[in-house]
Amino acid sequence: MIDCDVHNDWVNADVLLPYMDETFGDFLRRGERAGGAQSFPHGHRPWLHPEGYRRADLNPAEGHSAGSDYAMMKEQLLDKYDLEYAILTGEEIIDLSTIANPYYASAMAKANNEYLIHEWLTLDKRLKGSLAVAPQDPEGAAAEIRRRGDHPDIVQVMLSSAARRPYGDPFYNPIWEAAAEVGLPVAMHLGGNGGVNAESSFAMPPTFYYEHHALLCQSAMSHVASLILHGVFEKWPTLQFVIIECGISWLPPVLWRLDSGWKALRKETPWLKRLPSEYARDHLRFTTQPLEQPPNSDHMLAMLEAMDGKNTLLFSSDYPHWDFDDPYEVAIPKDWHENVFDLNIRKVYKKLPQKS
Amino acid sequence: MAKKQINIGIADLNPGERKIIEVDGKSIGLFNVNGDYFAMHNRCPHMGGQLCAGPVTGTTLPTDKTEFIYGRHNELVRCGWHGWEFEIKSGICTVDPKMRAKVYKVTREESGLILHI
Repeated sequence: MIDCDVHNDWVNADVLLPYMDETFGDFLRRGERAGGAQSFPHGHRPWLHPEGYRRADLNPAEGHSAGSDYAMMKEQLLDKYDLEYAILTGEEIIDLSTIANPYYASAMAKANNEYLIHEWLTLDKRLKGSLAVAPQDPEGAAAEIRRRGDHPDIVQVMLSSAARRPYGDPFYNPIWEAAAEVGLPVAMHLGGNGGVNAESSFAMPPTFYYEHHALLCQSAMSHVASLILHGVFEKWPTLQFVIIECGISWLPPVLWRLDSGWKALRKETPWLKRLPSEYARDHLRFTTQPLEQPPNSDHMLAMLEAMDGKNTLLFSSDYPHWDFDDPYEVAIPKDWHENVFDLNIRKVYKKLPQKS
Repeated sequence: MAKKQINIGIADLNPGERKIIEVDGKSIGLFNVNGDYFAMHNRCPHMGGQLCAGPVTGTTLPTDKTEFIYGRHNELVRCGWHGWEFEIKSGICTVDPKMRAKVYKVTREESGLILHI
């Protein structure tokens, strides 16, 4: 079993300082931090979880947060579920895209990646890493991918689901070019909403945390449509995108609409050779958590079948967050398990040992 | 099947406190709610999380207008996975009366609390 969304955290963003240069290290050491001393200097989303967003049943060691306590992660996740691999996705670093200054953001990405490689990936052979990049600095992101993307335990490039432009915009092309060149999939993890980035709702900001949470799929919808229609997967036919924690069941209807549009108006996007849904099927993968739970589970199964979930879903738990999914409770057909918990994941993450 | 009666000894919980105990091979949350003791199976009927390890809380009471009335202090436990609220006394889920956590009767004797399991 492989878990594709495990949040490792730091207690204090000062852990990044040893990996920063003099300029941006000084920004971090002496500069303003939106969350007060010790915090990571991101623009926090304005939707605040009234219970906190971490699992309330975990008791991390003194001075730790749930995700920063490796011993607890080992006991409560890696050993408990006998995981073969856990793909780390970080915590505050997901909101890197909210920093307005792209050069500062890229400096933070680089420091995060060194911290990850030196202080997490050395702890346990089961841990694999996501290379954080700042999408607001495409050239810097591309340089970071070429600098560190070949590390054997770095299995993907990662950015947030909220950004300043939809990801098909040619502005971002340097990132996809670099990822394709080094052969890494790109993960888009939920996060980065608010501030200089797109809101979770295009009707303008929602009010409540769970309203925001339910609508987060809107950012993912926009990026999926944009990536496909701008021909990102024609330009980089080996590129794989992993959509993390953005929900699932919205995908088929969006693809149905895009397919209808393409049939009538493909002249707008003459570079597309196939139905939008066919690009999605070949290039997009979706992590399971949080699977929607309609009252009639057959309705969900129909949507999962419509997106060929047997071949496009990757298991994720979202440890240690409040909406953690237990692998034994994931509502998918039994005969999908080998694919969703293992084979689909190895196909995307080619650095994991492959089964013959 | 007749229920077993198991003496779990004197509990020393203050109101609002809880502890998780192993009884008869089961993980059980023992709660003091306003001076009375209640017991609940430590498994959430939603997705199997350790329900009794979550925070013991109150909640906002239903209202007919835009106002926020906090109530039921310490009468609820929220699962650490997904945050569903359950009434400790009855095991009933706040938002869905059909969704129930398993609860066990607790009685008091001089020698200690008796769990009916």
